[in-house]
Amino acid sequence: MSLLFAWSCTDSSTSGLNEDDFAREAILVNWADNIIIPAFEDFAAKTSALKSATEQFSNNPTQQTLAELRQEWVESYTAWQRVSMFEMGKAMELRYRDNLNIYPTDTDEILENIREGTYNLELPSLNNSQGFPALDFLLYGLDESDQELLSYYTTHENADSYKGYVTDVATRIDTLTGTVLEEWQNGYRDEFVSNSGNGANSSLDMMVNDYIFYYEKILRAGKIGIPAGVFSGTALDGHIEGFYSKVYSKSLFLESLRASQNFFNGRHFGSQATGESLSSYLEFLNSTKDGSALSGLINSQFEEARLRAEGLESNLSDQVKKNNTKMLSAYDALQRNVVFMKVDMLQALNINVDYVDADGD
Amino acid sequence: MNISKLFLPGVLAITLFSCDVTDSNTDNPIETPETYEFTRNGESTVSFTGQTTRINMASELVSSMLDFDSSTDELLLQMYRNQTADGGNTDPFSSSALNESSKSVKGKVAASEDYFSSNATESAELKNQFEEWISNQISVVYPNENSLAEEGVAGQIADGSSTRYVNEKGFEYNQLVGKSLIGALMVDQMLNNYLSSSVLDAGTNRDDNDEGVLDGDSNYTTMEHKWDEAYGYLYGAAANPANPTPTVGEDDEFLNKYLGRLEDDEDFAGIAQDVFDAFALGRAAITEGAYNIRDEQAQIIREKISTLIAVRAVYYLQSGKNALDQNNPNYGTAFHDLSEGYGFIFSLQFTRVPGSSGPYVTKSEVDGFLTQLNQGNGLWDITPQTLDDISESIADKFSFTLEEATN
Repeated sequence: MSLLFAWSCTDSSTSGLNEDDFAREAILVNWADNIIIPAFEDFAAKTSALKSATEQFSNNPTQQTLAELRQEWVESYTAWQRVSMFEMGKAMELRYRDNLNIYPTDTDEILENIREGTYNLELPSLNNSQGFPALDFLLYGLDESDQELLSYYTTHENADSYKGYVTDVATRIDTLTGTVLEEWQNGYRDEFVSNSGNGANSSLDMMVNDYIFYYEKILRAGKIGIPAGVFSGTALDGHIEGFYSKVYSKSLFLESLRASQNFFNGRHFGSQATGESLSSYLEFLNSTKDGSALSGLINSQFEEARLRAEGLESNLSDQVKKNNTKMLSAYDALQRNVVFMKVDMLQALNINVDYVDADGD
Repeated sequence: MNISKLFLPGVLAITLFSCDVTDSNTDNPIETPETYEFTRNGESTVSFTGQTTRINMASELVSSMLDFDSSTDELLLQMYRNQTADGGNTDPFSSSALNESSKSVKGKVAASEDYFSSNATESAELKNQFEEWISNQISVVYPNENSLAEEGVAGQIADGSSTRYVNEKGFEYNQLVGKSLIGALMVDQMLNNYLSSSVLDAGTNRDDNDEGVLDGDSNYTTMEHKWDEAYGYLYGAAANPANPTPTVGEDDEFLNKYLGRLEDDEDFAGIAQDVFDAFALGRAAITEGAYNIRDEQAQIIREKISTLIAVRAVYYLQSGKNALDQNNPNYGTAFHDLSEGYGFIFSLQFTRVPGSSGPYVTKSEVDGFLTQLNQGNGLWDITPQTLDDISESIADKFSFTLEEATN
């Protein structure tokens, strides 16, 4: 499925609402300084550790170094859930998310790349054979037992190529992340914060659109809806994050959900403190729906979705196979917040949706 | 509405779908049939297998252009011609039904009676244009399968999460071939051949049709069959060819697909039913010998199908412009849109103004637009202004606005 991310070119006019009275810049400052940049700093530290662990493993592939590498992979994949929604600026230009997290990964292509030993991970056609899902396959999915898996890196005739591929993939994750973080630290933060007007090209409008796109397409559809078969009619139990490691798909989803809710509430990265946010903006505007505060409704809906998801198996693939109804129920809870945010919240904030699904050709 | 007196109450609902056209020359009203089903002596008289075959051949050709591991220049050209370079028999397709067929895509490209029967030179040029695109895919794009495209260099480029393969000017040859065939094959055969009185009324067709003289061993008159062949270029791959509107847009990747696209645009919604109704009523009129009604329906189809081509041309030009016209131009998305747009512009030369002998946009106008897209480094240095200018020039020839085509 190809999604076209098209920017709308219409300027949203002020409608007489008092959204202009709110200090939009305060939200942008809170997002940039207390959420986005700290999250990228944390993630960059983890991708750096992932890269180091890969090098250790490649130099000396043992059960011990494999376990350490897997640990770094889980930690960085979890931290990724806290930055994936910020696909703007350099990240958008690099197509960062497509490079780091397309799943299911193309295992045939990965094996062909390793066998041939020549590949260019910058090619768009190799987006689905790199990133976290490729490492998932290479660290968990090559064979049944750990011992057999290790043999690909020790005694296999292409062992050097296997080690090289794991290292190249981890290095690319780290390099791309460094590039994105560096831009935020060197100029983009100020540009982002100072673009505090309203209208389609303002930072607030763009960020809110990116956020809702992430929530709708990447979180709701990608992590739950697609494996549950909401769009295909048939459940796709292979289309989950961490398919080969098996036990992380639910926790990765919950981390993503938590990050989405924290962003909504302006909660500082790694802290209980909160700052100006979509939630406080809606409260400032006194936005209600059917007599209830909209920000409260959205938070309740996040809680409802979390509650339903917490009851799922840690391996969502198993959940889909054993009792898909529970997946569908989690999806329904997620879907209700698409309506609250994409319709009610955007209306209250006078922001237009700027993305559309392409016509698929 | 005295027509309803003809119906039992139980079938009154049919009138909801009808056009209740009456032939002014006679007092016999002809009801628009709900389905495209016509019989003689209890057997169907409808047949368009040749069109289904060509749609399937074209489909396999276009998809094979991206089969980097298997396709060769020779194989793709054989799919286009369904014969070898020296005219021998060949089996280039995956299905034996297509391999056994004596028909080909190339034989019906730019081959209509009205436009090309006395213009063999232009017909040959247009037929060869496709061969050039096909061969360039192999000689220019294939060697760069694993290179990143850049200005002046063929290779791959990202369009969202899709990967597109473009030539040195940013064009996808597979899109040029696919979208241009819509005009050169489907539209030209439909509007300028099978719906033309030069074909419908050729030879003794009218007398034969009036007297029920059948075409050889077939159960249809020649005129009935010609009309069906026009129908087949739009609905030949339909899930239910007798009632194709419910799945319109999903049945092929050529004309049917884009009739569905227009139907989905609220500015043009209703067009799918209008086109189907015109085909069904025209065919019923042939059965009744009501040739005025038949020809009125042919004009409706010419107008609607020509408009479809123009709307999609403008739509893709504007989509491409929007992808380019931003701080970080999205080249991959723009090139894909503009490659499709290029094919639809190419197709405009095969449109037909109702009641006239020519297209809405002439060949020289089309060539002028294509030159603007092609010149210099092609899509890498095309300007939003140029795309707007071409869009407006096209829309000006039709009764839709730029905005209606774009949103």
